[in-house]
Amino acid sequence: MSTATATRTDSAPEAAERKGPLRYSRQEMMAIAAGREIKDGELAIFGVGLSLLAGYFAQEHHGPNIRSMTEGGIYGATPIGGLPWGIECNRLSANATSFTGGLDALGFLVASGRVDVGLIGAAQVDKFGNVNTTGIWDRSKGNGLGDTYTPPKTRLTGAGGANDIASGAKRTVIMVTHEAKRFVDKVDYISSPGYLEGGDARARYGFVGGGPSAIVTTLGILRPHPETKEFWLDAYYPFSSVDEVRAQTGWDLKVFRHASMIAPPTVAEVEALRRVDVTGMLRREK
Amino acid sequence: MSINKLLPLAEAAQRYAGDGIQYASGAGLPVGADAIAFGRELVRQGRRNLHALFHCNTQQLNLLAAAGTVDKAEVGFSGLEGFGFANGLRRVVEEGKLALEDYSNLAMALRFLGGALNWPFVPATTCIGSDIQQRSAFAPEEYPATGKIPEIADPFSGRTLGAYSPLKPDLAVIHVTLADPEGNAIMIGSEWSRFELSRAAKRLVLVADHIVDTDCMRQYPNLVRIPGLIVDAVVWWPFSAWPAASPGVHDVDEAHTKLMNEWLATEEGTFRYIDRYIFSYQTVDAYLNLIGQDVISKLEDSPTRFLLDPYRQWILDRAKVEQLQAENHILKRAA
Repeated sequence: MSTATATRTDSAPEAAERKGPLRYSRQEMMAIAAGREIKDGELAIFGVGLSLLAGYFAQEHHGPNIRSMTEGGIYGATPIGGLPWGIECNRLSANATSFTGGLDALGFLVASGRVDVGLIGAAQVDKFGNVNTTGIWDRSKGNGLGDTYTPPKTRLTGAGGANDIASGAKRTVIMVTHEAKRFVDKVDYISSPGYLEGGDARARYGFVGGGPSAIVTTLGILRPHPETKEFWLDAYYPFSSVDEVRAQTGWDLKVFRHASMIAPPTVAEVEALRRVDVTGMLRREK
Repeated sequence: MSINKLLPLAEAAQRYAGDGIQYASGAGLPVGADAIAFGRELVRQGRRNLHALFHCNTQQLNLLAAAGTVDKAEVGFSGLEGFGFANGLRRVVEEGKLALEDYSNLAMALRFLGGALNWPFVPATTCIGSDIQQRSAFAPEEYPATGKIPEIADPFSGRTLGAYSPLKPDLAVIHVTLADPEGNAIMIGSEWSRFELSRAAKRLVLVADHIVDTDCMRQYPNLVRIPGLIVDAVVWWPFSAWPAASPGVHDVDEAHTKLMNEWLATEEGTFRYIDRYIFSYQTVDAYLNLIGQDVISKLEDSPTRFLLDPYRQWILDRAKVEQLQAENHILKRAA
């Protein structure tokens, strides 16, 4: 039984032993900033990929009482051996306290409105926080899809549970690499709804959940304007700037008056993140 | 002894999977347990025009799509999670050879639930407002699509909702960790939607890692989420989920998952894959040799191994399983 609850091998070098300023990658900054969005005690659901690392980082660093789950109905688990290959991967199944399934996780807990926060990824995101993970269409033929559904030029992974999380979680945090091609005025396909056309458009459909509270990227944090629901720049990082964020955003990004540099990661944050990211997925150069 | 429904893999595929059927796989998500060996058998037997209902894409659908076995599919997710895009499925979708209808992961579970309950529709509070509702690969001329997740009014509040169509697959093939000869089954790991699917399908075949004595089920009846009375046949095929994982039994084969996905990316690579990893074996022994004993030992050394411990005492040895297969009442009845 002792092997079952295996502890993580701590391969992260002791940051305190390092010379000079604290070094961390852009992806690590994104994961830490996203993790800060999750508060202790919240019921939280993490999507596949880097969101898992950000979520379990929050649990490791500042949220021992975060009640974490994945849409596979894997509850009470802490990943071992690095980034899980999937939300049901043996790296998570090795120490879960409950296995249920999709209907339970995405239905009873998310669609019911119980989940406080969901972390999801995106291939494309637009100014109203709508997420596309389904496909890229040929933009030379108008703005992506026309009146007829055609096969995408590039097929992506589809919505998975992200649509259900975006529809049902009290709030959603979107994590995405900040590149102009990903930050578009209007996504080719809405896989997971943000604020749709903005304003109170979500109310038309009566979604249970509240919509995205933040888009956390490799360059900064965007948050919705309280009325229009358009995403504005709220914060940038020690290594980025307002100009760089704007240059990498495909719409005319507005900047909140209060926008400023967020606190850089602490040694404790970087260490906690690397205890979760044992295999260094977030330190890889793209 | 209970009713014996054990069938060899090839026989089960021959008997229950005809061309053109709606075929559902019961898996524990994309990289979790799935009866991928059953899909290999469908390719070997040359099945065509299958309409796949996969809650999530797996390496099985990736293979069936790449091989041209499937020409329509409905999924909640079409990738391979940490392993990236499903290159075989992606290729045929982009080429327009396979119509892929998108739903969400909750939508697929609810559609199986609707089928299981024989409901006319299931109220949808997700997928609404998104292009999942408004775009249909099965009705490409219609935009916004009105027949895929049609708008309905809540009869009590008047609020506008969506309606999901229920699913009743002709055949579901569900991966389980443990089954007894009658088809009482225990799944270790995420059940995903296998409970709902088992009740929605018109025919149900289980593919089990281990066959156990029925006393095991009598010890843990609460954990038997698929009862034998709804099961048509039970197949024993070790490592049927390979290269995916089966919690409690083995880990994911990362190297082969990547190789398989890389080869399925092209038509030529797909032929090579089918030649090398399907036509190269017929028996369980040849299949296990193909995976390789060293790889098997490594994959079996899983941090989840302990999950199987409570059940090990009831696992039937191979000779007994093969004897039961030979005595199967379904075959006897046919003869």
